Amino acid sequence: MDIQYIGEHLWAGKLGHAFITLSFVAAFLSFLAYCLASKNKAYLKLARMAFNVHGFSVLGIAGTLFFMLFNHYFEYQYIHQHSNKEMDMKYILSCFWEGQEGSFLLWTFWNIILGWILKRQLKNGEWEAPVMAIFALVQVFLASMLLGVYVYLSLDPDAAPFKIGTNPFLLLREIPENANIPLFSNPNYLARLNGRGLNPLLMNYWMTIHPPTLFLGFASTLVPFAFAIAALWNKQHQKWQAIALPWTYFGILVLGVGILMGGAWAYEALSFGGFWAWDPVENSSLVPWLVLVAAGHTMIINKNKGGSLFTTHFLAIGGFLLVLYSTFLTRSGVLGNASVHAFTDLGMQGQLVLYVITFIFISVILLIEESLFKVSYIFASLYILFFGLLYGYKRELMMVWLGGSAVVTIISYAKYFPKEKDEEELFSREFWMFLGALVLLLSGLIITYFTSIPVLNKLFGTDYAPKKIPVYNTWITPFAILLMILIGGSLFLKFKKTDTKQFGKRILYAFVPAVVFGLACVIPLYFMHNSGLSTWDAISYALLFITGLFAVFANAGYWIVVLKGKVSKSGAAIAHLGFALILIGALVSTSKKVTLSKNTSDKKVSDLGEGFDDKVSLFLQQGDTLPMGPYLVTFKGKTWKDIDFYFHVDYLKQNKDKKWEYAFSLEPHVQNNPRMGQAADPATKHYLDHDIYTHVTAGNFDTVPKKQNAWGNTKNYIGHIGDTIFASNAFVIIDSIRTNIGKEQYQKNDSLLEVTAVLRAVDAQSRNYQALPKYVIKNNFVFPKESEIDALGLKFVFSKINPEQGTIEIVMSEKLSNAKDFIVMEAYVFPYINILWLGCIIMAIGTGIAIAERIRKFRVPTN
Amino acid sequence: MKKLHIVGIIVIAVAIGVIFVSLKNTSTYADFTEALANPGTEYHVVGKLDKNQPQVYDPRVNASEFSFTLIDNKGVAKQVVLHKSKPHDFEKSEQIVLIGKMHGEEFHANDILMKCPSKYNDAKGQIN
Repeated sequence: MDIQYIGEHLWAGKLGHAFITLSFVAAFLSFLAYCLASKNKAYLKLARMAFNVHGFSVLGIAGTLFFMLFNHYFEYQYIHQHSNKEMDMKYILSCFWEGQEGSFLLWTFWNIILGWILKRQLKNGEWEAPVMAIFALVQVFLASMLLGVYVYLSLDPDAAPFKIGTNPFLLLREIPENANIPLFSNPNYLARLNGRGLNPLLMNYWMTIHPPTLFLGFASTLVPFAFAIAALWNKQHQKWQAIALPWTYFGILVLGVGILMGGAWAYEALSFGGFWAWDPVENSSLVPWLVLVAAGHTMIINKNKGGSLFTTHFLAIGGFLLVLYSTFLTRSGVLGNASVHAFTDLGMQGQLVLYVITFIFISVILLIEESLFKVSYIFASLYILFFGLLYGYKRELMMVWLGGSAVVTIISYAKYFPKEKDEEELFSREFWMFLGALVLLLSGLIITYFTSIPVLNKLFGTDYAPKKIPVYNTWITPFAILLMILIGGSLFLKFKKTDTKQFGKRILYAFVPAVVFGLACVIPLYFMHNSGLSTWDAISYALLFITGLFAVFANAGYWIVVLKGKVSKSGAAIAHLGFALILIGALVSTSKKVTLSKNTSDKKVSDLGEGFDDKVSLFLQQGDTLPMGPYLVTFKGKTWKDIDFYFHVDYLKQNKDKKWEYAFSLEPHVQNNPRMGQAADPATKHYLDHDIYTHVTAGNFDTVPKKQNAWGNTKNYIGHIGDTIFASNAFVIIDSIRTNIGKEQYQKNDSLLEVTAVLRAVDAQSRNYQALPKYVIKNNFVFPKESEIDALGLKFVFSKINPEQGTIEIVMSEKLSNAKDFIVMEAYVFPYINILWLGCIIMAIGTGIAIAERIRKFRVPTN
Repeated sequence: MKKLHIVGIIVIAVAIGVIFVSLKNTSTYADFTEALANPGTEYHVVGKLDKNQPQVYDPRVNASEFSFTLIDNKGVAKQVVLHKSKPHDFEKSEQIVLIGKMHGEEFHANDILMKCPSKYNDAKGQIN
C-alpha cells in the first residue's frame, strides 16, 4: 500500500514541471513559426507569441525554484542538495545555480532577456525571422536540458535509455538510488529532514555575482552566432555585421568581466595559490572570449574596409560552438581526473555531444549553396548518425563525420564564398588586426587542445596526463608577445595604406622607452640571479615584459597625442592599454611569486628526493615566533564560531632602527564542515605594490580545552649519550651519564648506586634547561628518581640501563597543556598584482567606451 | 591574397608543431609497475588510499612531508611520500592522482589531485 506522506508540497513540483514542458513546447513552436515567417510574414505574430510564452514559462520555472528554496521544501532533491535551514538567505542565489539544472536555467534566463531586447530591435526587419529562429532553436535545446525524459534509441535491448535533461523538480524519494532508504517508510519523514547545505567554497560574495555575469557573457555569444547563421541562410554576408558589432563588444565586456571575477574569487576564496590555474573550467570560459575578441576585430575590419567575411562568420559561429563545447567539457564528467572542480556527470554526455553536433551540422548545411551537394551532405550525415546509434562505433563514426564536415566547409568556402580581390598592404591596420585575430584564434585553439587532452584520450584510446600550469605559461607567452606588438602598432596604422616613414617615427617614441625601461626592469628580474626559470622562459618572459610596456606606451601615447585625450574615440586605445597591463601584471606577479613560508621550524630536515625542493609550508605552534621572509610571525591562537575557525597570526617587521615591531595581523579561515569537509579560505594583506597571501593547510580543530596539569603524551626513548629527544616545545639532548661510585665499589660495599642522566633541554628561544633523572639501585632494587623541568612542563624518568647494548631508557611525559594549538601555513608574495586588477578595470572601461561609441554611430546614420 | 596565404601556412605549421612537440613532453597516466620500470620519469599514478596502512604526517618534524600507502588501479600498493602538507579531507578522498616519480621502492610525489565525493561531486542518495 502506498504511504500517505505528511506535509509535502506536491503542487510546487507539478507547477514547476508544467512550466518546463510549456517552455520546451513553446520554444519549439516559436522556432517552427520563425522558420516559416522567413518566407511568409504572416507567421511572425505566432512566432513572437510563442517566444513570449516560452520566456514567461522560463521565468515561471525560476520563480518556482526560488519559492521552494525560500520555503525550505526539502522533499525536493534540488532543494535538499543545495540548501539547508541554517543557511544565510543572502546565499540563496548561489544555491539556485550551484547545481547544473540551476545553471542551465540561468543561461536560459539570460538568453530570454537578450532575445527580448533583440526581438524589439529587429522588429519587422529582414533579420527578425532568421535570427530569432536560431535563438528559439538554442532555447529548445536549453529547455530540453531540464526535461528529465528517457528515450530508447538503440536496437540493443540491454542498452541504457538515452536521458534527455534532468528535472530539478524531482522529489527526494523519487530518485531511484533512494528507493530503499528507511527514512521514506515514515509518513512524517519531512519533519526530520534538513538540507545538505551549500558548498562552503561558494559562500562568498564573488560567487553571487560571478556566475550570472559569466552566463550573461555566454548568452551574449549567441547574438553574433545567430546573426552569422542567419546571414548564411539569407546569403547576405555583409549587412549583419554593423548590427551585431555592439552586441559582440557587449559580449566581450561581460564575458571578460565574468572571467576576471572568477579569477578574483579564486584568488580570494580558493586556496590553489593564485588567480589563474589554467583549470579546464577557467580555460573553457577564456577560449570563447578569445574567439569573440577575434570576431569583434574582424567585424571592425569588415565595417571599415570590407572583406574578412568568411573569417568573421567562422569566428562568430566558432565562439558560440566553443561555449557549447566548454559546456560539454565541464558538464559531462569527461574531464574525470583532470580537474578537481569539474562538475558532476548528470548522464547528459550524449545530449551535450548531440547539441554541439547539431549546430555544426546546421552551419555546414547553410554554407553549401548547391542543392545536390547539400542533400548529399545531409544524407551522409544522417546515415552516419543512424549507423552510429544502431550499431555502435560511435567514436570512429564521429571522427569520420567531423573530418568530412571540415572538408565540406573548405570546399564550400572555395566554391561559394565571396572573396577579396586585392591584396592587403603589409602596413595597414586591417592586416595587423587580422593577424591579431589569427593569433587570438591560434592561442585559443592551443588552450582548447591542451584542455581537451582527456577528451582526446577517450577518442584515441591514449593515456596522456593533463597539462600542468607551467606548460600553459610557456606555450602561451609567445602568442602574448605577438599580440602586444600588434596591439602597440596597429592604432598608428591607417586602414588601407599607411605612410611607413611616419609610422616608424611615431612607433619609435613608444618603442625606445619601452626597450630602455624594460631592459632595466627585466635584467634584474630574470637574468641577474637564478630565477628558477628555464632560459627559454626567462627570455620569453623578458620579451613579453618589454613588448607589454611598448603596448602600454604606444596606446597611452596614441590617446594623448593623436586623439588629444578625447574620450569618445578612445575606446580601443584604453581597452588595449588595459589588456597590456593585465598581461604585465599577470606576468610579474606569477613569475616572481615568492614563497615566504619556508619551513624554518624544522628541527631536522630529512633529505628529499631529487627535484623536490618545494617546501612551502610553515609549522607554527601557539605562541611561537618564527622568521618568515622579512617578517617574524606569531601564531596567537584560534577563535571559532560554529564550524568556522579563524587562526590569528601576527606579523612583525624590522623598523629603521633594526627593531622588530608589529606590522599587521592576518586571520586565515578554515571552515570545518562536518558534511562537506574542510575548506580553506585564504587571508591576504594588500599593499600597493605587493600582496601577502596566506592560507592554512592543517590545524588543530579541537574545541575542548585540555586539562592544564595532567601529564600525558608519555613516550619511552632508548638511546645513548649525544642522542636527542623531541618534545613538543623543546629538544632534549642526553649530555652525559654520571655515577656516584664505580661498579666494583658497588659490588663490594652492597651500598647505594646512583646513575644520573644529565639532560639538557633547549626551547624554541634557545634557552637551556637541565633535568637530572636518577637510576638508583639499592640492595638490588631499582628506584628511579624522576626529574621535572617546570618551565617546559616536562618530566623524565630514567627507567632502564641495557649494559649489553650500551643504551639507556628514558620515559618522557609532557603536561597536556603543552600540546598547544598549531597550524601549518603557506604564505606567498604576489608582487605588483595590483597592475593586473588595474588593467582589468581599464580594459572594462575602454570596452565600455567603445560600445557606447558604436551604438551612437550605429544610431546616427540609420535614424 | 598572397600574404594571407603565407600567414595561413605559418598558422598551420605552428599548430602541427604544437601538437607534436607537446605530445612528446607529456607525461602519461601509469601504474606503479610502469613507474618502477622508469625511475627517472614523471608519471601520473591513479589509485586509492590504503586505509589499513598508517599515514604519517608530523608537521613538527616536517610540515611539507606526508607519507601514506596508495593502491594503484592494478592493485599494486606502494609507499608514497608527498612533498606537500597533508591535504584537507585526505581520508575522504575517493580517488587520488599523484604526480611524481619512483625513488627506490617509494613513490615521491610533488603534487596531488583528489576526488572527494562530498565537496565536488554531490553524490546522490546521501541523506542525513
